[in-house]
Amino acid sequence: MKKVAIIGIGQGKFGVRSDASLRELAFEAVRACLEDSGVASKEVESMVTGIAGDEFALALQPSAQVHDYIGFHPRPNFRVEAACATGSMALRTGWMNVASGLADLVLVVGVEKMTEVPTSIATEIMGKGGDATWEYPFGTTFPGYYALIANAHMAEFGTTEEQLAMVAVKNHYYGSLNPYAHMQKPITLDKALSSFTVAHPLKLFDCSLITDGAAAVLLASEERAKALSKKPVWIAGLGLATDTMRIGDRKSLTSIASSREAAKTAYRMAGVGPSNINVATVHDCFTIAEIVAYEDLGFCEKGEGGKLIQQKETYVGGKIPVNVDGGLKSKGHPIGATGVSMAIEITKQLRGEAGERQVKNAEIGLTHNVGGTGQVVAVHIFRRE
Amino acid sequence: MDFKNFSLAISQTKVARFADDLAAGKIMSTVCRKCGKRYYPPRADCSECMSSDMDWKELKGEGTLVTFTKVYVAPGHFAVRQPMMPFSSVAFEPTPIGILEVEGGMRVMGWIPKVDLKKIHVGMKMRASPQILPDGRITIVLEPTQ
Repeated sequence: MKKVAIIGIGQGKFGVRSDASLRELAFEAVRACLEDSGVASKEVESMVTGIAGDEFALALQPSAQVHDYIGFHPRPNFRVEAACATGSMALRTGWMNVASGLADLVLVVGVEKMTEVPTSIATEIMGKGGDATWEYPFGTTFPGYYALIANAHMAEFGTTEEQLAMVAVKNHYYGSLNPYAHMQKPITLDKALSSFTVAHPLKLFDCSLITDGAAAVLLASEERAKALSKKPVWIAGLGLATDTMRIGDRKSLTSIASSREAAKTAYRMAGVGPSNINVATVHDCFTIAEIVAYEDLGFCEKGEGGKLIQQKETYVGGKIPVNVDGGLKSKGHPIGATGVSMAIEITKQLRGEAGERQVKNAEIGLTHNVGGTGQVVAVHIFRRE
Repeated sequence: MDFKNFSLAISQTKVARFADDLAAGKIMSTVCRKCGKRYYPPRADCSECMSSDMDWKELKGEGTLVTFTKVYVAPGHFAVRQPMMPFSSVAFEPTPIGILEVEGGMRVMGWIPKVDLKKIHVGMKMRASPQILPDGRITIVLEPTQ
């Protein structure tokens, strides 16, 4: 297996991008990525495109729109889908391309255009990310699924609504320092706690955003990375795991078993453990999801996630800085782009280019990307050297 | 009865009789004749032993509430449209939902129409039963047994 590095990163502004279509959003990210890498588009051998929903794209093969618009034909393009983990699945697929020796330079693009459909329809499409036959008939939505997890976590461990709101306060603070973020205003604890309920106990500020956006990275084999890049960031560990379609079929509703399994695989492959991670981006589609992720990734004991944020241990300067790019919560969650954008933040951190949000001397970083309610989870570990 | 009256989306499945059984007042599970594994929601095929030789068996609805929520921002099928009357508004009060653990550790999702959200708590004893709605759709409700 060949070693694989990220040698280029690029993303466009996340937000309600009523000025741009799916393919135009992708173009912004690809151009920025190629500029960052210094590699010409024509040198790239193949690409992987992550787009989660044809329902959002209003097209049958939206990835063809993307490869056409960036002028990639006749080279190979491979589309992947894994709901909200689509971006990480695209990165993993790109890694497979390079690690196998099939190609030395592979472009990975994640993109989603979510605001072309009305909010109620976006809510329906996301709700059907659970079991469309057996759960959706009960009016479930994405906030609804995580609300089921939140109430179970609160009942079992005494996690509080204040602790959930503290995650939102942290992520909005870091979002305010990230020029690519959808929301760029810090919020107070009171504001988060007094916002309207979306799905009890989750309030508006417990929820990530319906966002348009794109992110791209360029992957290279070891030889090419060393020749082309001064600061390659190496993909050191990858874990992918799955769980039941129905959330009700899970043994535990306070943990995402596929997160634990994917993390175990990634840690083993990278030869590190949770205490070695200097900075992480985790799947905070809802505030409760970040708290559960702390526990599932081993950043704290099970049931202690609420305390970890309360003690501010996941801020820069704390035990384990998490989502210091604003997370899905404040940066936004264009579902196909999210996993790629997570890898971009970790790359910036390991290169020492995160500015005000920089974690000092970060050497090892982790991304954690949940598809649906845990039907599929990807964990990746990155190293500076 | 069209399975779509339950699922809202699909009609065609090997377990379509589930909707007829609901209409007849029964929540049904399936049991694999070969390995004995029981399924709710019912399945036509056993992922444990890959057999498709299944029996139907009624599920006892009594159980314990594992978790719950009340979804205020509803998806397409359930969203209330703005009324046509100028200056008027409708206060939309949704119904809570929950997951009930019943016999054999199986989990049944259902609406909780008769209990105030503030009084719903994890660990409550409840019973799941089918209910036909005024518009002909069919669903499952959870009601307290104590």
